[in-house]
Amino acid sequence: MLRRGPFRDGAFRSPLHEPRTTVVLGRWLGAAMLICFLTGLFSHLLQDPPPWLAGWLPSRPAQGYRVTQGLHVISGLAAIPLLGAKLWTVYPRLFEWPPARSVLHALERLGIAVLVAATLLELFTGLLNTLQWYPWPFPFRQTHFWLGWLAVGGLLVHVAVKAPLIARNWWRSGPALAQRRAFLGAVGAAVGVVTLTTAGQSVPWLRPLDLLAPRRPDVGPQRLPVNRTAAQAGTQSTPPDWQLRVDGPRPYRLTLAELMELPQHEAELPISCVEGWSASARWSGVRVADLLARAGAHAGSAVKVTSLEAAGPYRIMEMPAQYASDPLTLLALRVNGEVLDADHGFPARIIAPNRPGVLQTKWVARLEVL
Amino acid sequence: MAALLRGAVLLGGLVLMGYGLYGMLGDPFITDPVSVLVWGAWALVLHDGWWVPLLCLAGRYAVRGPVLRGWLIVAAAVTAVGLPAVLRTGDDNGNPSVLPLPYLRNLLLVLAATAGLALLLALARRWRGMGGGAGPHLREVAGGISARARRWARWAGGRARPQGRSSGRPGHGRRGSHG
Repeated sequence: MLRRGPFRDGAFRSPLHEPRTTVVLGRWLGAAMLICFLTGLFSHLLQDPPPWLAGWLPSRPAQGYRVTQGLHVISGLAAIPLLGAKLWTVYPRLFEWPPARSVLHALERLGIAVLVAATLLELFTGLLNTLQWYPWPFPFRQTHFWLGWLAVGGLLVHVAVKAPLIARNWWRSGPALAQRRAFLGAVGAAVGVVTLTTAGQSVPWLRPLDLLAPRRPDVGPQRLPVNRTAAQAGTQSTPPDWQLRVDGPRPYRLTLAELMELPQHEAELPISCVEGWSASARWSGVRVADLLARAGAHAGSAVKVTSLEAAGPYRIMEMPAQYASDPLTLLALRVNGEVLDADHGFPARIIAPNRPGVLQTKWVARLEVL
Repeated sequence: MAALLRGAVLLGGLVLMGYGLYGMLGDPFITDPVSVLVWGAWALVLHDGWWVPLLCLAGRYAVRGPVLRGWLIVAAAVTAVGLPAVLRTGDDNGNPSVLPLPYLRNLLLVLAATAGLALLLALARRWRGMGGGAGPHLREVAGGISARARRWARWAGGRARPQGRSSGRPGHGRRGSHG
């Protein structure tokens, strides 16, 4: 049969379309995907824990979510050049002839199509989510989550199928190809530049190089970024008769002035967003544990927090007992010494260690002992 | 033992894929799973059918020299990551803390800075080539081709293959990103 174009024998002549280069890149890409998957899973479990797990989520280390979610976005962005380079090295395989040698071979190729499509879509949606840009018709969070399982499952299948080839090329260093060294060096440099120019949104000492990330941790009202503004939530103005309502065995209400008179505590905690940015601030306010104890809650009570916002998936937030009793968990009234801006949750917001930003409820109206 | 491990990885992978598929089809928020499939298929078609062929053609016919190739890999990666921000600059849905930077300027800055580094690298290679003969790296690249080509390589600061198309080996674009 006459084969043309990319199907022609020898159509791809670069010596870098060979297994050793692919295996080296595959190792880097696999590591990035695995970090991305595990940190994403952790984020999902923190944000939406199944009931059996909720009591086991740790409130420490306080910076935990900042580190894992920062890593999630850093490894996801690093995977973009790695995936591109990896797919380029194996691109000629797309034009194998015959297209399928057996049913098993056809299934393997189908599996690779699923793996590549899921990974491309995963990285693309993740990147655009950091910008809050959603041009697709499906919901981001759920789709991103399930695609992650599909991609990592596909990766394991791929590794199992290619295991002998991977094993043969894992340690092999020869024949030395100067071009390979240059190519891998360039891909490494690409990963480095992408990381250096974006990671500053979560890594404090890289902040000066934060040129391309959608956030700057020091830009926003009171020098802190905002995920959802008061205007977006419809909470620009607080009702003039606002009172914090605390429901429990001994329910009570407090005005803002009364809250300010209670013992104030200070905590240096980050706001860490699922979108990958995080910023530390000095929060001060009343310990949630003190407020709950005053309502007659017994030690080890969980709490349900309701926001003033009329709608939104995080209007009501449940906080497991280990967070509620953590002395770092505050009903914050001030940030960096100033009364909270409306965008940061005036009159009062929750700030707790090791929790995603969307669960740090703003514009708090009510605490309810569970 | 190895076969057992391989089987376990295969089985684990299939289970995870099944779980992902089952979850996606059963998720109450994903009302139209077909749209995910369509977007996934488009991602494949655009990547494998448009972007990579474009790179291969550019690599074969337009780009010469490892340093330029390397810089293009970096440039492609940075552009892939930075372009969405450039396209959406100012479009913050009413939240000024989203996309607060001049992204086009920043992207151009990063491209210029990396191009400057690449230029320095190219000059260093050329200088090494002119000094005590081709450096070990350059010799490797140029190894096996004619003395005339090697002289040319020295002169061109790393252009190891004067005939380019006919030698063809580095022909397809190395690149670092899928865009």
